Amino acid sequence: MKLHFLKFSLLILGSIVLLSSCKKDRDEENEEEVITTMQLTFVPVSGGATLTFQFDDPDGPGGNNPTIDQIALAANTTYNVSLQLLNKTVSPVENITAEVAAEAASHRFYYQPSAGSNITVTNFNNDAAGIPLGLTSTWATGSAATGTIKITLRHYPGNPPNKAADDTVTSSKSSTDIEVDFNTRVQ
Amino acid sequence: MKFLFLSVCLIFISSFSYGQDCTYRLTGHVHSTATHENLPFATVVLSGLDRTIVTDFNGDFRFDGLCAGTYTIHITHNNFDSAVRTVTLSRNVHIDVDLIPSTTVLSEVTITGVRGLLSTGIKRELSGTELEETRGASLAEALSKLSGVTMLQTGSTISKPIIHGLHSNRILTINNGIRQEGQQWGNEHAPEIDPFIANRLTVIKGVDELRYGSDAIGGVILVEPRNLRMTPGYNAEFNSIYFTNNRQYVTSAIWEQQLKKWPSFTYRLQGTFKKGANIKTPEYRLNNTALEEKNFSVTAGLRREHFNTEVYYSLFNTQVGIFTGSHIGNLSDLLIAIESPRPDPIYTGQNSYQINRPSQDVTHHLLKWKTGFDVNNNNFNIVLAAQYNNRREFDIVRNAETRGAQIDLDIFTFSEEINWEHPKKHNLNGVVGLVAMQQDNSYSGRYLVPNYRSYSYGGYFIEKWAKNKWDLQAGLRYDTKEINTNRLQSASGIFSSYEFDFSTLASSFNAGYKIVPEWKVNSNISFSTRAPHVNELLTNGIHHGAGTYEVGDINLKPEKSFNVSVNNNYISRNNKVAAELTLYRNAIDNFIYQQPKPDEPVLTIRGAFPKIVYQSTDAVLSGMDASARFNILQPLTLTSRYSMVRGRNRLTNDWLIGMPTDRISNEITYLFSNTKRFTNSYLSVELQHALEQTRVPDEKNGRQDYKLPPAGYTILNADVSTSFKMGGLPFTLALSGRNLLNKSYREYLNSFRYFTDEMGRNLILRLKIGLEHVY
Repeated sequence: MKLHFLKFSLLILGSIVLLSSCKKDRDEENEEEVITTMQLTFVPVSGGATLTFQFDDPDGPGGNNPTIDQIALAANTTYNVSLQLLNKTVSPVENITAEVAAEAASHRFYYQPSAGSNITVTNFNNDAAGIPLGLTSTWATGSAATGTIKITLRHYPGNPPNKAADDTVTSSKSSTDIEVDFNTRVQ
Repeated sequence: MKFLFLSVCLIFISSFSYGQDCTYRLTGHVHSTATHENLPFATVVLSGLDRTIVTDFNGDFRFDGLCAGTYTIHITHNNFDSAVRTVTLSRNVHIDVDLIPSTTVLSEVTITGVRGLLSTGIKRELSGTELEETRGASLAEALSKLSGVTMLQTGSTISKPIIHGLHSNRILTINNGIRQEGQQWGNEHAPEIDPFIANRLTVIKGVDELRYGSDAIGGVILVEPRNLRMTPGYNAEFNSIYFTNNRQYVTSAIWEQQLKKWPSFTYRLQGTFKKGANIKTPEYRLNNTALEEKNFSVTAGLRREHFNTEVYYSLFNTQVGIFTGSHIGNLSDLLIAIESPRPDPIYTGQNSYQINRPSQDVTHHLLKWKTGFDVNNNNFNIVLAAQYNNRREFDIVRNAETRGAQIDLDIFTFSEEINWEHPKKHNLNGVVGLVAMQQDNSYSGRYLVPNYRSYSYGGYFIEKWAKNKWDLQAGLRYDTKEINTNRLQSASGIFSSYEFDFSTLASSFNAGYKIVPEWKVNSNISFSTRAPHVNELLTNGIHHGAGTYEVGDINLKPEKSFNVSVNNNYISRNNKVAAELTLYRNAIDNFIYQQPKPDEPVLTIRGAFPKIVYQSTDAVLSGMDASARFNILQPLTLTSRYSMVRGRNRLTNDWLIGMPTDRISNEITYLFSNTKRFTNSYLSVELQHALEQTRVPDEKNGRQDYKLPPAGYTILNADVSTSFKMGGLPFTLALSGRNLLNKSYREYLNSFRYFTDEMGRNLILRLKIGLEHVY
């Protein structure tokens, strides 16, 4: 009996010593699926300099506030716009755009310029089923104005996703992965 | 007659039982451990009822016409040490009692074991028929049958108990004598315990809390298995349960044996398997609300005359799906979901056992070793325990290739305790204990709480005195806790580490007085201190589902609670009327709560989230629990219960959020007389009302909720049960109905009230088969 007692105590004691000596301070593993940055690249259809604007929050949610560029575009111009998503909390920086493109059937971008911003967004690229995805788009500007644009990435968690062409940005079938507001200026 | 020594002890463990039934028989057999002889002329006293019987020449005794409930039985014999047994009657029960030859002639009653100390202060327990009716349900659901206990829910599959308005780290859960150390801090973190291991669930307040910690501001829940088999032989119990609502089936089995060749060795095996499909509200079925649970435990014990030792191991594993429609991307999503009267059809209608994302997978291991020995009536106990808890949460992910968990929390806990119960002297009983605990927590995935190690040491001292109409108890406890946290953010390379030291003191005083034998008054004053938990100090991140960004505060101080309660307990002499009334007031200084900061939204790529910070205030929770049972006509019993709690934030002079609503329940039980074939048959119908919560924080102090509390509701439940023998084996067959009228309602303390109705009609069929063989 005494022997058992001793053995078991040693076992427990051993585990405690093991616990307190073996573990080192651990590195924080990467938070999965963080998106820190949305980059918009504007190529004028009729030629000219390429413009880029971004929402950038390199330390992820919380911490320092994100920096948000003002989207400044020329008046009466048409741009081909492509959108890129990055995760800058890892090194090297992770490009998430391809991931979204690969699962086009369960994602959709919405672009909502404010009234009077003189920006219209059309011509979204589609998923395999012909329903808008919106990684690329065409932006047309009118006369000089200031306003805002809200860009939203909606994710369909359902299986199948049941994504439909007439889904609105507030569809209860999808939830928000990204919701960013940019100030805009057409000059 | 010198041959017989009668000692009449009146220790009345008050138990309040519903569905009274006064036809049970308690039989027993007394024999000597040393010689294995039957013991005639042992005195058996049924405490509380003043009924005394002397065993016959075969060592047998028998009491007839007993009501359902818990009884304390004292067995004395002049040549043997006395024994005390607690028996819960919900059917006819047979007990075997082993008496140990006494070392001193005419020795006093010695009571061994943790539960041996004289009666506790304020306690409520669930056992017997009442516990049987909750078989297959979660621990919190079972406990919510007790007045003063409610549930905090995340849908129908995740629930945790609330005692007098307090939950999570403010209450302690003691799993077979060991303080449960899992991830108890979150609202969606249910206790990792299989209720099938228990044959009794008890909520205690007052002096006995100090055995388990100085931080039991809300109370202590004891999950206690029955004692290991004390006589050679084996017995088995098999439970099979089916729930119609979600096609849930539960199978649970227990096997207990004491070997013939080696009678000091005794063991038990126990296991439970549970699997349920998606849950149905009255109007729609909720996708991804399936669950699966696998539990197993083994206990082995060795008993000698002055020595006993027991090893216990249990494994708990649960996988729970979380309703897909509750997964919220950002605040705008949450507001849209809240405004919609019912979930979108894509989140409803699937009837499947499959668990998809979002989901939880929680595993808890407990290994315990307890040894007790006595020297000259001094009892010593040494308890060592190791626990490992792993909690994984799987979120909805953008990339379908992602397989891993988004949150993975691991916590190892080692605890050690040694205590000494001194011999009873001048009606005084007492225990002194020393405890230590080491804990290591680590995480991977999304940040919620940092890695930490904590070390705590403490000691307690409890004395109890009882004489005539009085019983007095007092206790003191001191703990010191050191927490070292660290977090290395790989993105920024910033290493943050914090050290905390907390000392917590607790004390409690309890006075019980029997005004008349039927009426006992118990008053309790308790002072307890709870150190802030790591999540309250250091959490920092988005709380999905709540649509908030939560921030901890490293400067929080321990909560100090001053709790006063008075309990009245009345049971008429003929047992036809019983009533209980408890009043309490719990003043908590530095009460830690979540305060919204509407002017400081946190801007993220998902949009802006309202910021919520942990801060402290002075709070007061006061309330009342009342219950009464009347045996109107012989077969008919009416049981009524009422409980209310009021929580105030004294610094803002406002209500506290998340307080249970007032509850009223009325139950009528009809007891059928026993026939040749069927025994213990009853039918009971219960009407449960929950009032609307109208006492919520004023929005001018910062909006704390997105939706007004739901309307009050009334639901109808019923139970019918009978026992019979088939092939020589005892069977119990029962059918229960929950929400029989299939009413659509929402409960204030279910976080899913934003999205969905509660579960609709659920019929539960239970079959229990027993088996016993004596060598």
